[in-house]
Amino acid sequence: MTHDEGGTAAVTTLVMLPLLLSVLVGVLELGALRAVAYRAAAAADLATIVAVGDQDQSELARTGALRLPEDAADTARDYFARNLSGSAPALAVGADAIAASADVASFPTAPSLDPRTGARYDRPTLRLIAAVPVRTPGFALLLLPAVTTVTIRSASSPR
Amino acid sequence: MVVVLVPLLFAILEFGWLTQRWLAQDGVALQAARYAGELGGDRPELRSYIQEQLRLVGIEPSRVVVEVEPAYVAWRDPVRVSLRTDERIVLPFVFATTLTVRSSAVARGEVNR
Repeated sequence: MTHDEGGTAAVTTLVMLPLLLSVLVGVLELGALRAVAYRAAAAADLATIVAVGDQDQSELARTGALRLPEDAADTARDYFARNLSGSAPALAVGADAIAASADVASFPTAPSLDPRTGARYDRPTLRLIAAVPVRTPGFALLLLPAVTTVTIRSASSPR
Repeated sequence: MVVVLVPLLFAILEFGWLTQRWLAQDGVALQAARYAGELGGDRPELRSYIQEQLRLVGIEPSRVVVEVEPAYVAWRDPVRVSLRTDERIVLPFVFATTLTVRSSAVARGEVNR
């Protein structure tokens, strides 16, 4: 490489540097957002699984049928908040507030139809849908929204 | 230019790798919490299960600190499994540091003693 070609490469790199840094920031932020979304979805899954792990004991003793207890939705909300709290630094609002505003619906007997999603459940089911606002400061640097809301859904049934 | 481009490349690779390890460890913590609820707390079977699952996702179990609280969980009470690993990150020409990757999950005791 001659002296002139070396200079041209340096100038090209300097000109391209803002673009490279923008791409890097965007990729890192998108990766971080996907990681938080994954963790929130895992928190929702665990919450609904925990909630359907318990049964209406009197119904179970009386008929042997699986039926969700009355507090299943509250249990799911509680455990969703507990598991989501691990991602608190990345969230735009508190885990308790997100769990409190989540749409948690219990379908204690089967079959049943979910009026929101249109899904038909053949077993007692607990369904959770939550909007999780995630801080995305990297996107803000690129003039995109500083908070990105991720919607997660989870449904679990006892077997 | 090497001083700029090489750290950029390493940043993408190192943080991608770190994220993969973090999510894999998260998955193990989640399954372990469920299992702890089934077993009723911290049991040798749980420790063996965690070691096996960590190996399956490519994490050396001896590098992971495992905590189960409480060690003995009552029916319908919460049980938390926490995993912690120190990971080394190296960006040539910029910095090298150790980051602590933490994962935890909370499930509920399922053993009615």
